[in-house]
Amino acid sequence: MSASSSPINSSALQDELKRIEENTRTLLRVSTSRANVGQTPKQVIWTFNKAKLYRYIPVVPAEQRHKVPLFLVFALMNKPYILDLRPGNSFIEYMVKQGYDVYLLDWGAPGIEDKDLKFDDYVLNYLPRAIRKIKAVSGCDEFTMLGWCIGAILATIYAALRPDDGLKNLILLTAPLDFTDKKAGGFVRWVNDEAFDPDKIVSAFGNVPGEMIDYGAKALKPVENYIGSYLTLWDNLDNPRIVESWHAMNTWVTDLIPMAGATYLQLIKELYRENRLIQGTMVIRGERVDLSRIHANLLNVIALADHISPTCQSESIMTKVSSEDQYLLKVKGGHIGMMAGSGALKFTWPHIDSWLADRSE
Amino acid sequence: MCIVFYVCLEGKEPPSTMSNESEPTNPLDPFETMTTLWEANLKNWKSMRDTSLDSWSKTMIDTVNSDEYSRTTGQWLDTYLTLSQPFRRIIDLMMTQVLTGLNIPMRSDVTSLAERLTNIETRLDDQDAKLDDILSAIKAFSIPKPTTSKTTTNNSAKVKGAR
Repeated sequence: MSASSSPINSSALQDELKRIEENTRTLLRVSTSRANVGQTPKQVIWTFNKAKLYRYIPVVPAEQRHKVPLFLVFALMNKPYILDLRPGNSFIEYMVKQGYDVYLLDWGAPGIEDKDLKFDDYVLNYLPRAIRKIKAVSGCDEFTMLGWCIGAILATIYAALRPDDGLKNLILLTAPLDFTDKKAGGFVRWVNDEAFDPDKIVSAFGNVPGEMIDYGAKALKPVENYIGSYLTLWDNLDNPRIVESWHAMNTWVTDLIPMAGATYLQLIKELYRENRLIQGTMVIRGERVDLSRIHANLLNVIALADHISPTCQSESIMTKVSSEDQYLLKVKGGHIGMMAGSGALKFTWPHIDSWLADRSE
Repeated sequence: MCIVFYVCLEGKEPPSTMSNESEPTNPLDPFETMTTLWEANLKNWKSMRDTSLDSWSKTMIDTVNSDEYSRTTGQWLDTYLTLSQPFRRIIDLMMTQVLTGLNIPMRSDVTSLAERLTNIETRLDDQDAKLDDILSAIKAFSIPKPTTSKTTTNNSAKVKGAR
């Protein structure tokens, strides 16, 4: 080894070894710890069974705030903090800064004692109570309801059953509502196969385990979810922005909760198989769910690369409702990425805000 | 460990001292040789990896979206649930006997208690709603009706006088 290259290479080797050590530490940290998620300041204003209703602390002076409160309803089988993933990548933080009075319903994780909970209970027992509290706290008789995924099903059913309860604006995100096409997407195919018996699953487990639902969601894109995601991390271990984003998303993806057995049965049988909601034959506690009764302003946001709720499942509601003010927004991205991905801040959130701002006064 | 090393190197600019073309390279230095080799083959390898992953992904998506996959997983799940049912029953029965023998509450007892608590919570929430209605009615009743400015002044005077 020459005298001139020896110290240089020794320093480079040390640098590389240090980098390897740092990357290994990063890998261990993100794969074995939880990211600090849901950091936007909030307070619990109502609880009911496992459900909690949060109000986010406004940062805009009262006189500059939008009058109509924004009520967020997420899916039943994932944690709702995907809407408040981390500072700078939080829909809730963004909307609070835009002057909305934001409320989030966290359904909580159902215990075995909740296995008989149905859509009927969520729509007519939980939602009206939470909405009453929102009205009492905000002092406004009107509200905007934003439902995402299964939350959009719940919001749609509520809007149809209680159209005159003060619902001014209805926002649906990637809403799986129309299951006419039995070949659209993996879920529809799987659950419509005659070998698939949801009764046996519920009979065995009571509530459907989060792991089973997670497997279903991941199996739709197995290579991306089981390999691609980790390769992305691997390739970017020295990029703190990507690592922290991956960490937060991985925390959410692995934070699984079960789904109440009776709700699961209703979802598979009445919606995925019999397509009752869009056909107008779904009955909730004796009341027929008639979508034509929905007259709130409607914003329907569809993700063009959604493999969980293909676009055909979300589009047709536009022709079923009576809303005079309705808008269909198609955005690039997948089921979750549309609202929590890097492009959400630039496209999806500003679009929702610009649509909602005029309708929240 | 080799893989970690490889990943750490990829996409990186070599240290400025190393990238200086005028600097004489030492072919006997294993670290430098390895770095050069890795960097030379890195782009090709990564490109190949991504291409093969893409095609693999498409194949897998087609597979999971096929009727055959639906039938196979449905049948597998059905078989698993059918075969595991007797074992679950036996375990439930044994647990019931053991817990009863030890005088410890069973899952059904806890479940029943939780259901009762939820019912109580429902009633409390109903009461809360009624209380809110009553309070808002009282509030509405106690707020003086808008009157002329003269009357308002008189009321203010009365309040001041009362104090």
